[in-house]
Amino acid sequence: MIEISRVSKSYNKGKVKAVDDLSLVVRSGEIFGFLGPNGAGKTTTIKMIVGLLKPDAGTITVEGFDVRRDGLKSKSITSYVPDYPSIYERLTGLEYLNFIGDVYGIPKRERLERIEKWLDIFELRAAVANPIQSYSHGMKQKIVLTAALLPAPRVMVLDEPLVGLDPRAAHHLKELMREHCGQGKTLFFSTHIMEVAEKLCDRIGIIDKGRLVACGTMDELKKLDRDNQSLEGIFLELTDK
Amino acid sequence: MSQLGSLIRVGLKVNFGLAVLRHRLLKEKKDRWLVPLVGLAVLGVLPALYGIILLLKFLFATLQPLGQERALLTLGILAGQFFILLFGLYYIISAFYFSKDLEMLIPLPLKPYQIMASKFAVILVNEYLTVLAIVAPVLATFGVLAKRGPSFWLNAVIVYLFLPVIPLAFVSLLVVAMMRLINFSRKKDALILVGSILMIAVAMGAQLLIRNSPSRGGMEDMAAFFSSPNSLLNRIGAKFPPSIWATKALAGGWSGEGLLNLALFLGVSLGLFWFLLVMAEKLFYRGLIGIGEISGRTKALSRSEMSRRVASGRRPVRAIFSREWRIMNRTPIFLLNGVMSVLIVPAIFVLMAKAGGGRGDTAALLRLMTGAASPVAVILAAAAFMIFCGSFNGTASSTVSREGSQFWMSRVIPVSPHDQVLAKFLHSYLVTILGILTASVVLHLALGTKVIHLLPAAGLALLLGFVLTAVGMIIDLARPLLDWTNPQKAMKQNLNVLFSIIADIIILTILGFGLIRALKTGLSGTTLLAILAALLAGLSVLSLALLFRFADKRYGEIEI
Repeated sequence: MIEISRVSKSYNKGKVKAVDDLSLVVRSGEIFGFLGPNGAGKTTTIKMIVGLLKPDAGTITVEGFDVRRDGLKSKSITSYVPDYPSIYERLTGLEYLNFIGDVYGIPKRERLERIEKWLDIFELRAAVANPIQSYSHGMKQKIVLTAALLPAPRVMVLDEPLVGLDPRAAHHLKELMREHCGQGKTLFFSTHIMEVAEKLCDRIGIIDKGRLVACGTMDELKKLDRDNQSLEGIFLELTDK
Repeated sequence: MSQLGSLIRVGLKVNFGLAVLRHRLLKEKKDRWLVPLVGLAVLGVLPALYGIILLLKFLFATLQPLGQERALLTLGILAGQFFILLFGLYYIISAFYFSKDLEMLIPLPLKPYQIMASKFAVILVNEYLTVLAIVAPVLATFGVLAKRGPSFWLNAVIVYLFLPVIPLAFVSLLVVAMMRLINFSRKKDALILVGSILMIAVAMGAQLLIRNSPSRGGMEDMAAFFSSPNSLLNRIGAKFPPSIWATKALAGGWSGEGLLNLALFLGVSLGLFWFLLVMAEKLFYRGLIGIGEISGRTKALSRSEMSRRVASGRRPVRAIFSREWRIMNRTPIFLLNGVMSVLIVPAIFVLMAKAGGGRGDTAALLRLMTGAASPVAVILAAAAFMIFCGSFNGTASSTVSREGSQFWMSRVIPVSPHDQVLAKFLHSYLVTILGILTASVVLHLALGTKVIHLLPAAGLALLLGFVLTAVGMIIDLARPLLDWTNPQKAMKQNLNVLFSIIADIIILTILGFGLIRALKTGLSGTTLLAILAALLAGLSVLSLALLFRFADKRYGEIEI
């Protein structure tokens, strides 16, 4: 479960308000889609959840652990995939996965099992002994996803995870997202692909200019709109003011 | 604005980070404390500049009675062009073939020569700054002391502006031809390493050549060194006529000889540049094909291989230490400034001093080390040499900066700042230990320093290295440079490395003064060394505790 309570964050000494008094609860076993136009505050919110940015006000808890006060505990149960896979290019894929395994303390048997499973699914087995700098953008995205799945986290936070993936890998990712939440775990992700959000998410939040303008299941969101239109229509209407 | 003009303008802005700097200083109001600090650094350079001017005045006064004061100009120009040749190789390879913007520029409707000319122009401006400290004082001192009129000053500006063109165009032609002929493009790392080692070899060769020149010290010999027809200067000048043309253009002013030589200097510079552009049109893009493509093995790991390579358990400090070690040693720029530098610097230092035939400061220091003075002096001098070799590199002071945009991983992994910094400290300290070991071996083998002196010296150096490593890391933690795209910026162009060296020098100076005062009180050598060791041990504990405390605070604050 992720609880965001009255969180604000601004840049340039308060001149640019990126997130404005945001409150939100993502329940266990739920896939939560976070939508919003460019610069609306999605990535800032995500970075605050995983501890990369410090909120100016408010609190965020992950499975009951405050991300600021109990940072190590919340980090040990969370995995994060950034919007751009900036990773250790000079390491081989396997060295990178071993690094993640070492810092999360994953025993050998589980580590080997999970690495083999995800490498096969993402078709990375042949490349895993090569330096990451030889990987394409999509392959880097896949190795970051594999690393994020390696600790079998209770909470996954993904920023635009489908960008750069080929259709097969995107299909597998969507399946694993469902599988992850099927086990009672939590998944929070941002996307620009309305169709994915509509089909995959249990609930959707729409953020615009740092404020949450809508939040609920697809049916609840449709009620906000008199024409009962698609998510794209609702999104355009809510963020066009 | 023309296409080429726009390209150069954008190139300069990117190179000097002007837009980012303006945004940070004026909009975000960050880094303002840097402004007075840079001012202070400029003030700090003034005494060194004054020293150079005094030396030049002395040389001028020595050479003028012999009518050889022009040799000063040739020396300045030669030194400047040599420097450009040396640093130009790396700049050219990086800018022409490995800069990130090439992927964006090549698809634009631009001609190859335009891209190359814009890159060349940006390097040219960089070189003006590089040789400013070498050439400008020579030109200015000569102009003032020789009481030259406007013709000299105007020619001086023209010569200065064209000074880097010939060496840069020469290196560019070499690189363009090499990239076309040899398929180096897929081995970017090898190219940078080989180029850099070649540069070090050339620099050492030149040092040896100068040190082994017939001169044996004294004012008269120095004058002979400059003025005799067979002197080294004239010999090099004869082999590299542009320096002689530039000298004559400066000395001659607007006389027939002056203008003729100026025309020759400019003509050859422009001619070479034009030839480079012609060759660029033919060869540039062909050498670029395949850049950035790195092929790896395509055979999948077998189950047993995979099982062998997969580790087990939680061991964060070891994992982070391995990550630091691997990334540092697999990135050529980091490798050259870290492990390679602590291995090479001691050797160069001793070689230079030995080649000098026992003259100068280096020789005096080494004489001290080889046992001519008291044992305490030998131990302290050897310890100073070891710490210079082990700690004066940027490993500790770029420890966070080197992570760059990948720092997000250090922020999201469940490892405390204490453990992360401990792993980084162990890595930086290992490089220091390597430097101290190399220095010890070099001192023993090349200068015969006794082991009985080397052991306590190494002990002191290890303790001091502990403190300096912590100080370097604290400086980098305070202001990490994370938004770089070229690893060179993380180490070579990182102000933290400079600040750390300044801090190290301050610490060493304070310790030095303390030692001198303690010696005057009549303390025995052994007692003095014991007090120093105890003091350094105390400082080590203190600095490490401070580092851990500061890391706890800073890891929560650094945003990415």
